[in-house]
Amino acid sequence: MTLKRQLLLVSLLALMLPWAGCEFIRETESALRSGQQQMLAGTARALANSMAGYAEEYPDRIVNGLPTEQLFLQSLGTEPRIDGYFDDWLLQPTSLKSVRGTEGPIQMAIGSYGRMVYVYVDVRDKNVIYATADTAILDDGPLFADRVTLISSSPPYLEEQFVFAAEAPGAIVSYKQDQYGFAPEPAIKAHWQDVPGGYRVEARIPADLLSTSLGLVISNTAARNQRPARISSYSGRTPPPAVRPSGELHSVALNLVQPGMRLLVTDASGWRIAMAGELPVVATDNSFGKGWSRRIYDLLVESGEAVTSAEPDATGREQEPYVSAALSGREMASWFRGDDSGLAIVAVAAPIIDRNSQGDQILGALILQQGTDAILSLTNEGLARLISLTLVATLLVAGTLVGYASWLSRRIRHLSVAALDALDNETLQAALPSALAEDEIGDLSRSFSSVLQQLGDYNAYLRTLASKLSHELRTPLAIVTSSLENLEHEALNEASAGYTARAREGTDRLRRILTAMSEASRVEELMEHAEPESFDLQKVLFSTVNAYRDVYKERSFDFDSTLPSAPATGSPELIIQMLDKLVDNAVGFSATGDTIRIGLDGEEGQLLLTVTNPGPPLPDRMRTQLFDSMVSMRGGENSRHLGLGLYVAKLIVEGHGGSIAADNVKDGVVFEVRLPGQDSR
Amino acid sequence: MERESEVPKRIAIIEDEAAIRDNYSAAFRREGYAVEGFDAREPALNAFLNRLPDLVVIDINLKDDVEGGFELCRELRARSSDLPIIFLTARDSEFDAVSGLRLGADDYLTKDISLPHLMARIAALFRRMDAMKKPQGNDSRLTRGDLAIDIERMTVHWQDQSVSLTLTEFWLVHAMARYPGHVKNRQQLMDAAQAVLDDNTITSHIKRIRRKFIAIDAEFDAIETVYGMGYRWLGN
Repeated sequence: MTLKRQLLLVSLLALMLPWAGCEFIRETESALRSGQQQMLAGTARALANSMAGYAEEYPDRIVNGLPTEQLFLQSLGTEPRIDGYFDDWLLQPTSLKSVRGTEGPIQMAIGSYGRMVYVYVDVRDKNVIYATADTAILDDGPLFADRVTLISSSPPYLEEQFVFAAEAPGAIVSYKQDQYGFAPEPAIKAHWQDVPGGYRVEARIPADLLSTSLGLVISNTAARNQRPARISSYSGRTPPPAVRPSGELHSVALNLVQPGMRLLVTDASGWRIAMAGELPVVATDNSFGKGWSRRIYDLLVESGEAVTSAEPDATGREQEPYVSAALSGREMASWFRGDDSGLAIVAVAAPIIDRNSQGDQILGALILQQGTDAILSLTNEGLARLISLTLVATLLVAGTLVGYASWLSRRIRHLSVAALDALDNETLQAALPSALAEDEIGDLSRSFSSVLQQLGDYNAYLRTLASKLSHELRTPLAIVTSSLENLEHEALNEASAGYTARAREGTDRLRRILTAMSEASRVEELMEHAEPESFDLQKVLFSTVNAYRDVYKERSFDFDSTLPSAPATGSPELIIQMLDKLVDNAVGFSATGDTIRIGLDGEEGQLLLTVTNPGPPLPDRMRTQLFDSMVSMRGGENSRHLGLGLYVAKLIVEGHGGSIAADNVKDGVVFEVRLPGQDSR
Repeated sequence: MERESEVPKRIAIIEDEAAIRDNYSAAFRREGYAVEGFDAREPALNAFLNRLPDLVVIDINLKDDVEGGFELCRELRARSSDLPIIFLTARDSEFDAVSGLRLGADDYLTKDISLPHLMARIAALFRRMDAMKKPQGNDSRLTRGDLAIDIERMTVHWQDQSVSLTLTEFWLVHAMARYPGHVKNRQQLMDAAQAVLDDNTITSHIKRIRRKFIAIDAEFDAIETVYGMGYRWLGN
């Protein structure tokens, strides 16, 4: 893994910043909420106490029947038309009370507007049996009709029934039946409407006509002569009291409630008997409603229950767990949050307890709700700022780290490239990058430099070893040679003459070796002083190869070139000397009768000179050192070679700005010399 | 030999290596020369105060005096313009050779040279000195177009201007110009120059010769390189 990637990984740690910030936001939000909750709870407790002062306003706990069987008088905002339609009640369909009927659910609602009570019943009945004159009133046989009966009673004394049966759809006449008999009740206005699969009855009854307990009974008959099934809204003998909002409590609540809060009062069964105040409408802030920050916010902040659960129950009975808890005497808070709107609501339910001489009695519950707009906007704003700040900080840190890493790795890369370059080009004295830096890379660079320097010194020493050695040996050799030559002038016997001759042979050989050893430095010197001339390499080679045919009579030479001419710049003598070395090498590694091929070709503006000879392949380990000073692959009888020939060849080629390489080919070895063509210079 | 009757020529050899000095001295004496050997510059100069020798053989490196030979050559040349001076040294670099010849030495030889070759050169130098003293005779002249060679005096003229050549160079020019058009290979040139020279040295010599001719005549192109073979003089 590169340094840059490593540091990039490390920079991921900077993501801790937004994480910590989010934790902070979460904590803050939670603390603010709990503060608000406590404050709200305090208020709710105080309000509950004051609400307890109106003990007589709370309905008694019912004894006959269940609270679910109670009918709730919805406060209607407008006056509905009596036409069999429910939509002008302006209530939600969920506010309809549902009772299981024989042919499907029967839905009903009771509402009050002004001094009037409204009744709406929707009955599933595939086969509506209309009443006739004799069945419209009584429901005790022998003939029957479908009908809706409103039971109104003040148990245990009084029970009255208001009967709604239709001889035909449309406005119908309602009859009132009490213990004295029955009579049409003109004050009641009612409407029967047939709908597919059933019928609807809507009626308006003056409130004065009704008692405290109300119930609805639906009679469904399959045929005129069949006794109908009776479905009632209650299970007891008489209906339970209907729930009516308390005007007194309502006005008290109106006085107590503070802006931005909603105050609900329920009776002991959870029926809502007073309501005041409005929760602030959250302005639909689009940037908050949908954006990414909103999603992050949703992730961060503890999710509450759906905000709709905090709304007053459409059926009129509050059944949220926190309300139930309050009704059992336990104060409880709850937290609601809108999923798509920013609305969040903190709600507290406190029991309203009447502390009288007979002991504590739970009259009902007080529900106080407050929108947490303030917290929301606070945390939201904080979040947005936090996110943008930490984003910038993270990017900055990551960017800086990556930049720093790039810089570091660039320095290291430069250093390594420079070191390799220095090695390849043998410019071992050159200063490496970062040499003056005071950090570890600087140290590295300096130690590289010193290693390279030592290597350079060693190489230089090696390179000059041959010429130094030959130079140092020349004087003692001169002593030996001159002594021998002097000796030859003395009178020697045959044996002595033989020894002297052999000694002369030895010194001659030694002299040749010394000359070869100093050749490299002489070539270097020549190249330094050479004045480059233009020549046709092709002609030079042609002539030279002819000469080789004379010199090496035991080899054949092929010269092939496809070029019309090969203009080059440099010293033809040195090029020939280089070729001499290659040919000498080729001759040395080939056998008598072999053909040595010399080729000249043009390649991308360069001249490519090849010398190919049959013979043993180059050993792999030698391939790179082949052209170094004093490296020889020859062994055995050829060991007199010092390994300077190819080194000299390399010196000449590189002195001409070219390159030399050796490679194995089928059954032999090829040396390739690339020289710059004249036009490419 | 022929010189026995005359006063022997005096050769001074300045060489810090006693063994070589003695060997060369012995060889010179055997040839009938009078020899004085010195191992440093100062004693030699002191000895030359009264009388210069007839020929001086100098090593460049004299003990701790690394360039002592050059210095000595300069001083001797200042005192006499025609004293033959030969450098005989282990230093074979082109630079040293050029420096030595620029100081006015007549030849620059490395210690590779064999004694007979050395003797031949010394004899040639003395012969030239003698020839200089005699009036010029036409029998020793060789003319090839613009080139005129006086074999006795070992002088070369190109377009009637004197070309100042060292002994080795003179022999090389002579060898080539004798048979114009004939390619002289390196071995033949070496033999003619009475020296064992490696290829590079011959190349250098030819280059130097060309340069000297070109200094007189920018159009000079009488010496042709026959690549892989040798050189030839182009006659007209």
